Amino acid sequence: MNPRLTGGMAWLLYPLTAAAMVFVLAPLAVVMAMSVSASAFASFPPTGFSLAWYGAVLADADFRFSLAFSGLLAACATTGALAFGLPAAFALTRYAVPGRDALRLILLSPLIVPLLVVGVALLRLFADWHSNSAPVNLLIGHILVTTPYVVRTVTASLLLADISLEEAARTLGAGRWRVLRRVTLPQIAPGVAAGALFAFMVSFDNYPISMWLADARYVPMPMLIYRQAASIYTPAVPATSTLMILFAFIVVLLIERLAGLRRAMAM
Amino acid sequence: MTATTASSQPLRTSLSRMVRKPSTATMVGLGLGLPALAFLAVFLLVPAVRLVSAGFLTQNAQGVLTGPVTVEHYVHFFGTSLYSHVLFVTLRISLVTAALAAVLGYPVAMVMVRSHPAVARVVTFITIAPLIVSVVVRTYGWQLILGNGPTGLLNWLLLSTGLTHAPVRLLYSEAAVVIGSLHVFLPMMVLPLASALGKIEPHLEEAARTLGMPAWRVFHRVTFPLSLPGLAVGFTLVFSLTAGSFVTPAMLGGTNAQMLGNLIDQQITAVYDWPFGATIASVLVAIVVTVNLLSMRLLDGKRRATA
Repeated sequence: MNPRLTGGMAWLLYPLTAAAMVFVLAPLAVVMAMSVSASAFASFPPTGFSLAWYGAVLADADFRFSLAFSGLLAACATTGALAFGLPAAFALTRYAVPGRDALRLILLSPLIVPLLVVGVALLRLFADWHSNSAPVNLLIGHILVTTPYVVRTVTASLLLADISLEEAARTLGAGRWRVLRRVTLPQIAPGVAAGALFAFMVSFDNYPISMWLADARYVPMPMLIYRQAASIYTPAVPATSTLMILFAFIVVLLIERLAGLRRAMAM
Repeated sequence: MTATTASSQPLRTSLSRMVRKPSTATMVGLGLGLPALAFLAVFLLVPAVRLVSAGFLTQNAQGVLTGPVTVEHYVHFFGTSLYSHVLFVTLRISLVTAALAAVLGYPVAMVMVRSHPAVARVVTFITIAPLIVSVVVRTYGWQLILGNGPTGLLNWLLLSTGLTHAPVRLLYSEAAVVIGSLHVFLPMMVLPLASALGKIEPHLEEAARTLGMPAWRVFHRVTFPLSLPGLAVGFTLVFSLTAGSFVTPAMLGGTNAQMLGNLIDQQITAVYDWPFGATIASVLVAIVVTVNLLSMRLLDGKRRATA
């Protein structure tokens, strides 16, 4: 149990934290406030109240396509990340693999290299290989950035799972598969689900990889918002952004329920 | 506490398993790690090596990269004041952002670890949740707040309270990029800090207090030094992520606060100069890797010194 803040420290730190929370929430709150403005311009203060911009956004063909495409891309990328990340997390925690620290470092390395550079490097590779399908190229790029998140979260879950239960089951004669299915997986399932949700959002939100690999037809959501924010000044952009914020907060609540936010972040 | 016992347990069991069945377990483990490793080798290592080597080649009129090996792009990059200035600005923005993140993040991390569980939960939620909102959306929010006209939120506030009589230039500046980056990467400072603060043995501070140390000295002599590893990790993360960003400088810095990421985009997309783009990308990666290695050495050194 950590000591509670008292006296002068409490008087100093609570207001500072409150100020930091205002700083963190301010841009999101402003975007949401602007999205219900009746004015035709995204200017402060918002005038009147209208949900018209949401209607306009939801009816927009570009928005619908980007939303569906980003959702599908994120779902496929998450599946790929689980396929690569789950076994790798087991290798890191349950087997005496030689050079385990090096393996962990390599598996998490996409988190250290600037994503923008990963994207440029992939663009060059795909160009040289004449791989011209934007969806395929995007999927490979997104699996690359989401896999480390799955590895990190699942590794943390496996380290927290009670290994003596696995030992007991094996002593009682259960085979490797049975132990995995009946003892290990039930224990780590919430962590895996949280990791998968996190990976989904990492892909859904990604800009610095997509900016290189997308083409004129397949435009992921963040790129659509970026382009609209740079070219038009209507509350359609805040409305689209607000939908992104609300979706993200639903997912965050789910992750919090499943595994706890800090544990899902494995930090 | 729990982390150390948890990590030593699998080690112990896997050791015992190794003694029982040496080759099979190792082979299964390798087999499980192999697909991910192969994927990373093909789509991260190979492209990275090719990109770095592109920086030492020349592009002919057909856009094909050919020899001989040359360092002229590096000479061009470091020798042209326009480019070295962008490098300098990138380093300055990343450094200032990381420092401000430490100042702003420290109180948040303390509250996260040492307040009523309900308060800690809310603070954790507010800190982490925006991380899952796209950088584009969050930066767009800052565009609305920092807008240069009288309709930007801050300018509207300043004008309507009479603090200024003409709109202030806030957007498209280095300060705006620092504010945006701080917002985007603050959680990367708070989380490692909170985890370091959470690991401090309560008895140490208790002992210092019992010996008559005032609260601020307990913090200065006990808590703060023990939180330094977390601070180092957070600083490294925020610095590296800021240095490699594109969206924030593009949306908040414009042409006044270009960073290396924007320069790479320009060279590849607009100028189509692959060798030079690859050179800038290599410089960026070199900076990030150097900072990470330095921080790892620093942390290892500290660990060895305290052990």
